[in-house]
Amino acid sequence: MEYRWALEVQDLWFSYNGTADVLRGVNLRVEKGLLTMLLGRSGSGKTTLLKVVKGLLKPQKGALTVLGVPFAGERKSASREVAYIPQNLGLVRNLTALENTLTGALGRSGPFLSLLKVFSKETVEEARECLALLGLEGKHQEKAYNLSGGERQRVAIARALMQRPRLILADEFVSQLDPVMGFEIMEMVREIARKGVSLLITTHEMGIAARYGDRAVVMKEGMVVYEGTPYEVGEEGMLELLR
Amino acid sequence: MTKRQLVTRLVYLLVAGAAVVSLAGMGLLDPVEIARAVARLGSFVGDLFPPNPTVLPTLARAMGETVQIAFVGTLLGFLFSFPLAFLAAQNLFGITVTGPVRFLLGIVRTIPSLLWAVVFVVAFGLGPAAGALGVAFYTVGYLGKLYYEAFEGVDPEVVEAVKSVGGTRLQLLVYAVLPESANALVSQFLFMFEYNIRSSTIMGFVGAGGIGFYMLGYLQLLQYRNLLTALLLTLAVVMAVDYASGKLRALVLPAVPRRTRS
Ligand SMILES: Nc1ncnc2c1ncn2[C@@H]1O[C@H](COP(=O)(O)OP(=O)(O)O)[C@@H](O)[C@H]1O
Ligand SMILES: [Mg+2]
Repeated sequence: MEYRWALEVQDLWFSYNGTADVLRGVNLRVEKGLLTMLLGRSGSGKTTLLKVVKGLLKPQKGALTVLGVPFAGERKSASREVAYIPQNLGLVRNLTALENTLTGALGRSGPFLSLLKVFSKETVEEARECLALLGLEGKHQEKAYNLSGGERQRVAIARALMQRPRLILADEFVSQLDPVMGFEIMEMVREIARKGVSLLITTHEMGIAARYGDRAVVMKEGMVVYEGTPYEVGEEGMLELLR
Repeated sequence: MTKRQLVTRLVYLLVAGAAVVSLAGMGLLDPVEIARAVARLGSFVGDLFPPNPTVLPTLARAMGETVQIAFVGTLLGFLFSFPLAFLAAQNLFGITVTGPVRFLLGIVRTIPSLLWAVVFVVAFGLGPAAGALGVAFYTVGYLGKLYYEAFEGVDPEVVEAVKSVGGTRLQLLVYAVLPESANALVSQFLFMFEYNIRSSTIMGFVGAGGIGFYMLGYLQLLQYRNLLTALLLTLAVVMAVDYASGKLRALVLPAVPRRTRS
């Protein structure tokens, strides 16, 4: 289906408890095929926004159009083409890198054979390719709990790619890695965007946003206060916005 | 003195008063009665010794039956508690499903295995089948609760991540909830088996098989030396099973760090 924006959010409101609004009328458009960095101080509502977009939380009010499809209420993860990588990655520690990657294909695998951990040859091949693409050839059979932080990060990307996504949502994606590893991973992510996948990545680090973001969005107290390119505002301006 | 202190003292006083009244009512504050009881206990302990090894072959067979009751009961209980725990986990199903299942588990759990055994003696007649079913029912209630709590203890991010790929609930179970809670499941199964070995030893009291039948008989026939033999055998088996399951636990459960980052 043809669509103009990867994601359109209009006047989105969300509250966890019904009294304190965490999202207070968010307006946002995410461009197709670009890497958009979502900045904001801790508690500004970035994680909540991603979960609402993914359909894990149901907004009280507002309109959401994901990949050109308007989405009312708690849409069943018909959003198979929207991959979500939570802040702590959500890898299954007792499964291997390959098994974790294969879970990305669950949505399009036979619901019964997959319960026996049987995947088609092509699917397994695709998972191996994904891992290879991310430089994890030798780690297929390693359990997730034995992997380093950077390796785990890459397994999470591989799992997302197995969904054959058109939009990837990633929360605080490289915030817990050392800077060199973080840049390395961001380079890989940029490659993914160059292949036409749209990405929305939250961070609280301006350096990462300025360096890798094609676009930058700044959130403050549950609202979007800036949408544009990172270099239009510059780091000084961004700091001012975040304050 | 503040009001709060006053109330606290009043509560202490009430508890102490209730304790004295209850003890006196049971005759536990009568020194003469206590002296007599101690004397009787002394002669009872004297009558226990020495244990009588000639009954060992009979008892060993009965003890074997007790272990079987515990084993079959735990296994059956596990098979039924597992799907029920799945349906009772609030991170997998809504309250309309989890509510009734939890209620059912709660009821099953309230009734001790000995009482279940009585019910099954009525239904199946005397013998270990009734004992095993009694143990199984109690296990369903208890293990069911331990298991749904283990399921709910799984890192919510892992559940969200696997939910997000658009899989079914069964896939969520197989790919996220089970591998993440596997250690707890194995560990609680072994715990349940140890517990059930103990409760199976008294199944014979109600005719539901195992060594309890002989214990009760020796007690009623005042054959205290035989009784001691049965008790010692039970103790040895319970300790052996605890030891073995401890070893097994160490063998199957690797030391997995809770969460690894960078
Ligand atoms: N599960 C929750 N229940 C209640 N309040 C929450 C929950 N998660 C987050 N919040 C609150 O919502 C606000 C926004 O949180 P979050 O979306 O995590 O912000 P960010 O990701 O930008 O740090 C915070 O005030 C936080 O305390
Ligand atoms: Mg956050």
